[in-house]
Amino acid sequence: MGFFYCRTKLSFTRWNADWKNATALYEQAAVGYRFKKENEKAKEAFEKASKGQEMISSPWDAAKHMESAASLAKELGHWNEVSDFYRKASELYRECGRSQPASDALGKGASALEDTNPDEAVRLYIDACEILEEDGKEQMAFDLYRAATSTYVKLERYTDAATLLLRWGVAADKCNAVNSQCKAYLSAIIIYLYMHDFQQAQKCYNDCSQVGAFLSSDQGRCARKLLSAYEEGDIEEIKRLAQPSPITHLDHVIIKLARKLPTGDLKELEKEEDKETLDENDLT
Amino acid sequence: MSVIDILTRVDAICKKYEKYDVERLNGDNVAGDDAFARLYASVDLDVESALQKAETASQEKNRAAVVALNAEIRRTKARLLEEVPKLQRLALKKNIAFCEIFLYQVKGLSKEELSTRNDLVLALPDRIQSIPDGSTNGAKATGSWTASASRTEIRFDSTSDGRFESEYFQQTEESNQFRQEYEMRKMKQDQGLDIISEGLDTLQNMAHDMNEELDRQVPLMDEIDSKVDKATSDLKNTNVRLKETVNQLRSSRNFCIDIILLCIILGIAAYLYNVLKK
Repeated sequence: MGFFYCRTKLSFTRWNADWKNATALYEQAAVGYRFKKENEKAKEAFEKASKGQEMISSPWDAAKHMESAASLAKELGHWNEVSDFYRKASELYRECGRSQPASDALGKGASALEDTNPDEAVRLYIDACEILEEDGKEQMAFDLYRAATSTYVKLERYTDAATLLLRWGVAADKCNAVNSQCKAYLSAIIIYLYMHDFQQAQKCYNDCSQVGAFLSSDQGRCARKLLSAYEEGDIEEIKRLAQPSPITHLDHVIIKLARKLPTGDLKELEKEEDKETLDENDLT
Repeated sequence: MSVIDILTRVDAICKKYEKYDVERLNGDNVAGDDAFARLYASVDLDVESALQKAETASQEKNRAAVVALNAEIRRTKARLLEEVPKLQRLALKKNIAFCEIFLYQVKGLSKEELSTRNDLVLALPDRIQSIPDGSTNGAKATGSWTASASRTEIRFDSTSDGRFESEYFQQTEESNQFRQEYEMRKMKQDQGLDIISEGLDTLQNMAHDMNEELDRQVPLMDEIDSKVDKATSDLKNTNVRLKETVNQLRSSRNFCIDIILLCIILGIAAYLYNVLKK
């Protein structure tokens, strides 16, 4: 590596850093180190190789090297480096004008970080989705949305999960994927019910009913029945509704939540509603 | 003369001499003079026909036909039973001869004839009742329930017998069993249909997902298509140029020149070798 070092360092005889040769040598060194399983050195070599490629303005190769460096960093367990490298790789891909590999890179980074740094992972997922949406390729974003939602649910950030699901619904709408859209809306309603936030669930249902496709679909009907069962406080009905499809066709994370319905005390919901009626009576 | 001719001639002759047919006139007038005998004869005829129908019914395989025949028989029986009181009244009256042309036809009723008529009339209801009409098998109906395929018919025309109440009771037992079986079968069918509907739901969901996946892959395929087209055209170009180059290299003129030059060099080398050897 020192040998390569002197190639790039400017010296008296060298007026321009000879990046081309240096890059080639760096690549060789990196591959050699990886083969020998010296991950630390291989990672460094990949970094330098990537920088070299950038210098000779071939961002594609630079991005590829960055990704290799990032995967090695993952194996080493340098988590902040992982996210940095993947972000850099994604930027380089975007320079090439290729959005799909860019979001793929972010996606890989996010899945690598899911266990250790889930917040960062979620941020990476959302950035990846945005990249695809800018480019009009929402179809590819579905998997990312799914992974991000499951991460949110694991973190128990349910409002965020529900918001993300609604965004998923918008994306599905743009590419006419009616089935996915309805499933996303139904999942959002279930999450609100799981949080025991009945008003929010109602509002969500009313909003989603604006979309004609959802209103007339199986998922819409199931949502209607769920909400009416909640209003009546009928626990058996809720349990019965959670069994068959279409809930079984949703993501398994959502199914787990649905099985745990109803959470909390349904009587509370009834009491709230009663209070409202009393107030109306007082006014009149 | 052919047979047909003979038959027509015989018919014509019979018609001509009809009025001399004593037996037939006797038969007609005997029945015609006597209202009782007329009515009795008609009732007798009906009873005979009903008995014949009952026989055909017992041999008939088609259940619908059996039911229809039995219904007819029952209606006839009801009608005949209504005629029986009329007959009884007529039997008690004295007979008055209407036609006076045939003197020996005038009849008065003797005492024996009166009694026989009474007996006949009394026997008539029993005869009418005894015509089998499918409603007399109440006793064997309970035994026939072991075969679940056979069912007793639904009875609309059952005459108002005293047996009505007991038969009705037996019917409800049978119909209860029937209803139970029907309910069980319906439940099993419902279960099967539920399973089928669940399977169909799963299939529908999978089909929707497949649909979306294919929609997703359509633009990718288009991209692949265009890229591969570009690659093939590039390859074709390269191939053509390569062919030209190789042809140039291997053209026969160059080859001959190479061989000649090689021979010249070998000649020079041999000459030098010879010179040096000396």
